[in-house]
Amino acid sequence: MDAVKVSSPTVGARPSAVRRVLTADAWVGYLFILPLVVLVLALVGYPLVSAVYVSLTEKYVGYPARFVGLKNYADLSRDPVFHKVVWNSALFTVASVAVKLVIGLVLALSLHRALAARRLVRGILLLPWVVPTVITALTWHWMFDALHGFINVSLESVGLIAEPIAWLGQPAPAMMAVITVNIWRGFPFFGVSLLAGLQAIPRDLYEAAAVDGASPAQRFRHVTLPGLRPVILVTTLISTIFTLNDFNIVYVMTRGGPGIATHVLATYTYETGFQALRWGKAVAVSMYLMPLVALLIVILARHLTRED
Amino acid sequence: MRRPVLAWAVIGALLVVVLTPFYWMVNTSLKTSAQVQSLEPYYYPRPLTLRNYVELLTATRFPVWIRNSATVALGATLVTVVVSCLAGYSLTRIRYPGRRLLATTVLIVYLVPPTLLFIPLYTILNGLGLSNTLWALLVAYPTFTVPFCTWLLMGFFRSIPPDLEDAAMVDGANRIQAFRRVILPLAAPGVLAAGLFAFTLAWNEFLYALVFVHDTELKTVPVGLNDLMFGDIFLWGQLMAASVLTTVPVVVLYTYLQRYMVEGLTAGAVKG
Repeated sequence: MDAVKVSSPTVGARPSAVRRVLTADAWVGYLFILPLVVLVLALVGYPLVSAVYVSLTEKYVGYPARFVGLKNYADLSRDPVFHKVVWNSALFTVASVAVKLVIGLVLALSLHRALAARRLVRGILLLPWVVPTVITALTWHWMFDALHGFINVSLESVGLIAEPIAWLGQPAPAMMAVITVNIWRGFPFFGVSLLAGLQAIPRDLYEAAAVDGASPAQRFRHVTLPGLRPVILVTTLISTIFTLNDFNIVYVMTRGGPGIATHVLATYTYETGFQALRWGKAVAVSMYLMPLVALLIVILARHLTRED
Repeated sequence: MRRPVLAWAVIGALLVVVLTPFYWMVNTSLKTSAQVQSLEPYYYPRPLTLRNYVELLTATRFPVWIRNSATVALGATLVTVVVSCLAGYSLTRIRYPGRRLLATTVLIVYLVPPTLLFIPLYTILNGLGLSNTLWALLVAYPTFTVPFCTWLLMGFFRSIPPDLEDAAMVDGANRIQAFRRVILPLAAPGVLAAGLFAFTLAWNEFLYALVFVHDTELKTVPVGLNDLMFGDIFLWGQLMAASVLTTVPVVVLYTYLQRYMVEGLTAGAVKG
């Protein structure tokens, strides 16, 4: 605010209409933001717009595109494989995010209570979130290995299973495995975000509730949960967007298999585009996500840019 | 409840869940291939061997992939820090029409998933003659590192009192001098954090690296390892050795970054 006043003398010297609105300072502002604007327009804005066009064409790699209107979308909407992929994505996302939220909440409440543990333990618990996802998926792939993996070997050695289970070779266990890994990777983010939220709830609210005779359960329901609401909302939205678009875990662990049992929209887009080499159809697959992702982003942006 | 026994039990259980894969990773990396393939559980390597590490570093392309990853991550970090510092400062300290819209755009761009972008981006990079070069990644990575770091730096710049640069400008410094001499030095820890985040994000990236680069000699670590995995089923010892070596730098950086981690994206929500 003050800065504008400070630099205004230079502006006063040239009283054109534009100059009066845009101070010299504002021009510096535009100059500083310019690299980012160029980057966003060229490498995000333009690709997104051209993606819309590509999805309306029959585009095989190496051949010129042929405009086909909404054919790709129409074909996909009748394609049982695509239906299965959409269902897989929904299951993968909803199951992962729901479990991450629950474990994250339990973790946050525990860390909030066990004061002494907080600093050290929080650091260790965040590890899954910082390790490259490909490494995570690779390690779990090995742990789920049917013959020599940690999980089967351990379960067998304590007598819980008699025969090794082909975790990644059967549809339901494979889906369970990729969801497990996504949960493992993501729950620390929930835990730490929600912990920050818990710490921001004023103590006197709890004291007032205790004075009014509220039980611990009532305090949780009427003080903790409402206080956490904004953090829960934001964390869940961020996680949903990223989980919905997760490529690495599924690709590295199962390649979408067995068959198409674990194919999600991201891996199916990749396969359609870079194995089947049908770009128009591939982009249409990812475009089906656009409205949902856009909606989530708008809600999230509203919450995060709200002025205090 | 004075003694939070239940809380400690929960924390203990989750610690085990978190640490088990790391334990298995390190354990496998130190085993002989006979132990890796044994049907008997080897919960610790006996005898312990460094052969996997030696072979990984001498007989595979891993050192080249590390060099590629480091090159791309450093380059992307450099670009990101410059662009994000300028943008973050502009969006928090200077008033001009469209500023709020631009700030929201930064957030939106951060959230646009690579799944939507990678095919059209590939077309563009191909058109520029950059596909199958490390330049492709250097151009593509700022699309996610810049919005993230700008958002992070906006928080830092906001926390520096405006009086300092106002005073400098009253003393005759112009805006750019005030930014360089007053604000940047004060924001140095934040700039360092942003740079390290950019490095980590680029170091961990997989999808673009998988799609934009085909040459084995040009691959980054995540993509190279993925090839190694499906090449031969019995390479788990080497793969886990590679996983250890790839994870260590990130974990080291992260011990410094820990305190900034949550603030980045959730601060707004906690405050609101």
